[in-house]
Amino acid sequence: MVKKSTVQIWLQYVTAILLIFLLTWHLLVRVPWLRGVETFKDTLASEKVYHEVSSYGILLLIFAYVALLHGFNGLRTILLEWTSGKYNGLITGTIIILFIIFGALATYTVIGITPP
Amino acid sequence: MSEGTGKVLPNRPGWLASVNPWVLRVVNNPERLAFVLHRLTGLLMALIIMAHIFVTGTPARVGWEAWAEEIAKAQGITVVTLYFFFFAGIAWYHGLNGIRLLLVEFFGTCIGKPEKPKPPYLAPSLKACQRKLLYTVYILWAILWILTGYIVFMG
Amino acid sequence: MTFDPEAATRTPPKKVIFRVKRYNPETGKTWWDEYEVETYRGMTVLDALLKIKEEIDHTIVMRYSCRMGVCGSCGMIINGMPRLACQTQVAEVATEANPVITIEPLKNHPVLRDLVTDFTAFFEKHRSVKPYTIRKDKEELETGDMEYLMSPEEHKELYEYTLCIACGLCYSACPVAASDERFLGPQALTYVWRYVSDPRDEAWQERLEAVDVEGGPFSCHYAASCSAVCPKMVDPGAAIQRLRSALIKYRLGLYKKKKVAKKATRPAEQVKPKKPLPPEAQPVPGANIEAMEREPPTIPVEQLIA
Repeated sequence: MVKKSTVQIWLQYVTAILLIFLLTWHLLVRVPWLRGVETFKDTLASEKVYHEVSSYGILLLIFAYVALLHGFNGLRTILLEWTSGKYNGLITGTIIILFIIFGALATYTVIGITPP
Repeated sequence: MSEGTGKVLPNRPGWLASVNPWVLRVVNNPERLAFVLHRLTGLLMALIIMAHIFVTGTPARVGWEAWAEEIAKAQGITVVTLYFFFFAGIAWYHGLNGIRLLLVEFFGTCIGKPEKPKPPYLAPSLKACQRKLLYTVYILWAILWILTGYIVFMG
Repeated sequence: MTFDPEAATRTPPKKVIFRVKRYNPETGKTWWDEYEVETYRGMTVLDALLKIKEEIDHTIVMRYSCRMGVCGSCGMIINGMPRLACQTQVAEVATEANPVITIEPLKNHPVLRDLVTDFTAFFEKHRSVKPYTIRKDKEELETGDMEYLMSPEEHKELYEYTLCIACGLCYSACPVAASDERFLGPQALTYVWRYVSDPRDEAWQERLEAVDVEGGPFSCHYAASCSAVCPKMVDPGAAIQRLRSALIKYRLGLYKKKKVAKKATRPAEQVKPKKPLPPEAQPVPGANIEAMEREPPTIPVEQLIA
């Protein structure tokens, strides 16, 4: 049985500390002045996005996994609190399946990308 | 109650207390509103992140043409820009309040020092620096969200 | 809960309407009743309820005892906020513009009748955290003749938490306890921290291990409503954060209790030989102490009188 503190420290608080930096970076790359382009739309242009994914793929992937861990564990905690832990197996199982699906999708997004 | 004949009334508001800060009208308690907003933004982000991963996978899954087609709509007030505006706004609040919660919950700081009760009997944690941080969170959130709107819609 | 002397000494509106939420367990029906009460300066909400019971409606049921904010029996939700009825002045909650006071039973506690709630589960949680000093030297605890030493600073660290009267207002205000029945609640968790931080207690490690479960300090999300409603300025919200932080440090191998309090020493000439445990302190042969700690034995009333 995993201790509650282990889950919370590593899946909620440590990921939260990492997310502060990762999320700031992820939001700042959409600021046009920092990317040397004119508009917000230009930051989403195919060449820019390809450059971002191919150069910082690992960082994006870490961000996706850390965000999924933090988000899904949070969602799980909220659902368990709302149901007084009655459907623990069902909720945790569903969350783990969702994590695997979207983790795989995120991995494919980075690995399977081709130049535009 | 021992062997009563009647039924007891379960009196828990349930999940409503997590989404409605006015289930109780506790005075001098902006932390409760912060908790509700943190929970709501967290729930929304956990749901939106799935859509976000799905959509940003478009270049790898479908191709760059489909991506370019979507991005062409990212000008003015459209579904795409509204999505970015709201997702960023939600993320700003959750992140800013998250920093405050990390300080309070993880590090156990910003909650004042235990003191002996004296009038007006205000709990130390309610006048500690976490309260100032909370107001800072609200102000910064407003500024950053307005700035986000400017970048997304005006750019 | 903050105390506003100006509001508390104000003259209330001459007539105040009390909207009271009623519940009848026999029929299972819930309804609201309205009573108009003539007030006077210094009237508390409990005074008004007793006046209603005496003069208007004898069937209304509420729990109260000391009438001065010490026993913690008369907790109820007054105008949407959990308060002690005996500590709340009518003038504080009713204004000339809106002379209506709504009174409901405490939330998160099952309602037995009208304003009376069942505290069994609440006290059960309180008992489960072992709210008493635990020392390794049990013999010393029974026969000790000197106090354990404690500095004023150490005393100040935990004094606030010892003021808890277990009125259940914090538990009623908690948005997590509103749905999660497993949550120990602000009151019980405050007691855990009160003993973990107490230099006279030696079981801090066991206490930290015991609360590392679902419903422990990690279920708290710092809505701080408990601290805002506490009538004794106990600040349960801060206590839970300190407990959680200590538990995190303990799990990461960083937490160290400052020191365990030493016993005061007598001058050499006054030292008496160590006494053995008195017979009444010896466990009854065959008694299972651990089982008794989990489930206290029921002593028949006749036996107590005898």
